[in-house]
Amino acid sequence: MEVSNSCSSFSSSSVDSTKPSPSESSVNLSLSLTFPSTSPQREARQDWPPIKSRLRDTLKGRRLLRRGDDTSLFVKVYMEGVPIGRKLDLCAFSGYESLLENLSHMFDTSIICGNRDRKHHVLTYEDKDGDWMMVGDIPWDMFLETVRRLKITRPERY
Amino acid sequence: MNYFPDEVIEHVFDFVVSHRDRNSISLVCKSWHKIERLSRKEVFIGNCYAINPERLIGRFPCLKSLTLKGKPHFADFNLVPHEWGGFVLPWIEALARSRVGLEELRLKRMVVTDESLELLSRSFANFKSLVLVSCEGFTTDGLASIAANCRQLRELDLQENEIDDHRGQWLNCFPDSCTTLISLNFACLKGETNVAALERLVARSPNLKSLKLNRAVPLDALARLMSCAPQLVDLGVGSYENEPDPESFAKLMTAIEKCMSLRSLSGFLEVAPLCLPAFYPICQNLISLNLSYAAEIQGNHLIKLIQLCKRLQRLWILDSIGDKGLAVVAATCKELQELRVFPSDVHGEEDNNAAVTEVGLVAISAGCPKLHSILYFCKQMTNAALIAVAKNCPNFIRFRLCILEPHKPDHITSQSLDEGFGAIVQACKGLRRLSVSGLLTDQVFLYIGMYAEQLEMLSIAFAGDTDKGMLYVLNGCKKMRKLEIRDSPFGNAALLADVGRYETMRSLWMSSCEVTLGGCKRLAQNSPRLNVEIINENENNRMEQNEEDEREKVDKLYLYRTVVGTRKDAPPYVRIL
Repeated sequence: MEVSNSCSSFSSSSVDSTKPSPSESSVNLSLSLTFPSTSPQREARQDWPPIKSRLRDTLKGRRLLRRGDDTSLFVKVYMEGVPIGRKLDLCAFSGYESLLENLSHMFDTSIICGNRDRKHHVLTYEDKDGDWMMVGDIPWDMFLETVRRLKITRPERY
Repeated sequence: MNYFPDEVIEHVFDFVVSHRDRNSISLVCKSWHKIERLSRKEVFIGNCYAINPERLIGRFPCLKSLTLKGKPHFADFNLVPHEWGGFVLPWIEALARSRVGLEELRLKRMVVTDESLELLSRSFANFKSLVLVSCEGFTTDGLASIAANCRQLRELDLQENEIDDHRGQWLNCFPDSCTTLISLNFACLKGETNVAALERLVARSPNLKSLKLNRAVPLDALARLMSCAPQLVDLGVGSYENEPDPESFAKLMTAIEKCMSLRSLSGFLEVAPLCLPAFYPICQNLISLNLSYAAEIQGNHLIKLIQLCKRLQRLWILDSIGDKGLAVVAATCKELQELRVFPSDVHGEEDNNAAVTEVGLVAISAGCPKLHSILYFCKQMTNAALIAVAKNCPNFIRFRLCILEPHKPDHITSQSLDEGFGAIVQACKGLRRLSVSGLLTDQVFLYIGMYAEQLEMLSIAFAGDTDKGMLYVLNGCKKMRKLEIRDSPFGNAALLADVGRYETMRSLWMSSCEVTLGGCKRLAQNSPRLNVEIINENENNRMEQNEEDEREKVDKLYLYRTVVGTRKDAPPYVRIL
């Protein structure tokens, strides 16, 4: 089965022309020709995907707006029945999936959002209006704007 | 052998507008050739290096409108260095010298300088329309010359250009006597805008139908502009990050409600989502909506807006709309003809469950019977989905699919996407433009060569296994005009199989493929009517001619047919064989 790293069959002369020097080319070659889907250190390609510069710049600008290094959003997280809570920086997560994964790890149990399941803990949050809501219904960015704190409910409640 | 006087024939020719048809007419006989060339008003030149200005003017002395294209398409994606070529100055100089009565100039991917714009503005008394798309090399000073000197100006349309903004007063340069503007688009300007000058200009332009603002025009100004131009048909909104105060918002709403002629909406750069509802009243009239720069607006806000756009024919949007949003489009926009879905997350960093997948594509194909053009960026695709799309929409003219991760297979079966694309080309008998992506073997090209009889433009990236792939296409697609290939294993055998073929095409681009210098040299040897350009920006690789190795692979190859030989304006890193 073919995987995305099959680019190794291409020759060395198809090197990205922005690479600095020949001695580094073998290292940079792997960076520029392979496309790991989650690689935070990956150098941004300017020629893929095929979108025009203006869109590329617009999207870059947008990312800067939302992922500034000095932004953080610490909220309290309680597990129902446990008096001592934790604190969590929601800006460290890229979405609901990574949040749930982290919480499940932190509280050493499986936590889900959305479905009312008698077996699992369900994640809820208190919003700007003081109402308790099910996590996962609204887009992540909107959630970040409105969330005040989190509560992990026991299964029996539902 | 004319049964009618020339004037009658000329009158008949007036009804023949498409340049292809006029080209055909001119081949019928010498007499028709002469009548046609002397009456031709609009000339289209798809590659500015295929011909030169002197021959253009010699053949069409009465031309009024000229369209010129410069750099190859992949220049849009930073694959062509900036100084490669496509300079418009020699054309303007020649037209000025010959006193051609130029009224309209449309340029795409060309290098335009302030000097060219100044010369243009002073040389043609009846100049009416300037359209620049994806051009570069000029500043707002050049725009100032156009504004100041073109007394009959009706249209100034700047789309996606790289313009150095000197924050000058170019809008002030339109004289008070200028009242003829019909279309003004400066959305791509990055700097400040003299809003007062803009308002005065709009107020004295009763014929203004199209106005596209840049990000510097704030909300209250937008309201005032719309109030004095309720006849607008096409509006490009600027940007305003902050939530508007209730009074400004109310004024905007009042202004918008009066714009009953508005049919096309675009812009919305960094717009606070709560401003969108102001546009709800006119949504039912919209036929074109471009939200592809509205990166800050989330899917649910977009959906609320689109739900009201029942007459929409053209929609450009970001993938933040999601499959859910596309389902809404499919249910609402029954008149939809063209859809473009652009990626909002280009580095794959977002844990983004909201982006579009094959599900959205199938929904659109099922819900929109008039769909004929699509550009779709997504993270995953399946053969089953493509087969369903082909069945639902056999009328595609343009089908461009870009799966963000190269070589990505069908995400359910892990097979290549050959069968899916095969279904598309087999069902869509009128397909003229195709872009393929994902994991693809030579097989997909066999299908394309076999079925895509009307195909004129094909874009290939990270696809194919052997030279056979490219050969299937070259042998099969008789109407091919533009072929552009990157990062695919096609080499000399494919390149050299039928050298004469390239004179029937406009151009061929191959980058990061397997063709070698030797192969390119052999190609160029017996082809006086082809320019074979090797673009090699890496200084370390440039060797002396006697040292060079013919087996060395060529980084970028661009070849095109021409009747005027090698161009003289190429930079040092472009070698023309």
